[in-house]
Amino acid sequence: MTTPETTQSDAQMYRNMLRWQMMATVVVIVAAVLISGIPAGISALLGGAAVILGAWFAAKIAVRAKAKADPTAVLLNMLKAEAVKILIIAVLLFAVFKLYQSLVPFALIAGLAAAALFSGAALAKVQTPV
Amino acid sequence: MEALALIQAYTGIGIGLIIGLGAAGACIGIGIMCASFLEGAARQPEMIPALQGKVFLLLGLIDASFIIGVGLAMMFAFANPLLSVVAQ
Repeated sequence: MTTPETTQSDAQMYRNMLRWQMMATVVVIVAAVLISGIPAGISALLGGAAVILGAWFAAKIAVRAKAKADPTAVLLNMLKAEAVKILIIAVLLFAVFKLYQSLVPFALIAGLAAAALFSGAALAKVQTPV
Repeated sequence: MEALALIQAYTGIGIGLIIGLGAAGACIGIGIMCASFLEGAARQPEMIPALQGKVFLLLGLIDASFIIGVGLAMMFAFANPLLSVVAQ
């Protein structure tokens, strides 16, 4: 049921998503550095990186099981990917809050929010009609 | 001292509400979307590959509010800005 074209298109969609997230994070980093200095920029980078890393792992899991034709299996795979994503983000955020001494919390939240919200922006680039 | 304990207690309740309500909202949204996906797949099985990517992107979008909530909850747990008022 899955053709190589659709698999490539989905992989491209995930790459688009990661690209949008990176661009949003970079914009927030620049704004944070200009407003509050280097530690704020690093905090924004860490917040965005946590989400991007989680999304990257989730995309890897989602792409891996493309050959499945059963919608329930597809859905379970997607939910597994999402669970891994949330787990990775939570662990990374916990590590950042515990280990980074000169953290600027609001910059971290801004980077995190920008990366998380812009994950859906790749939908705008979808070519195939639903 | 009493004010500090009070702030910590209420912050704990707030963190629970942020995580709990965020998770409930995300679960309801994901449930509705997954039900729609299964319904669509049952009606038109040939659309499953085309829908998979969109389902994944929308899952991320629905979860965004929960992830932001987790970040805010961690901020209040580890670097509570409300406690600085007591410290001054």
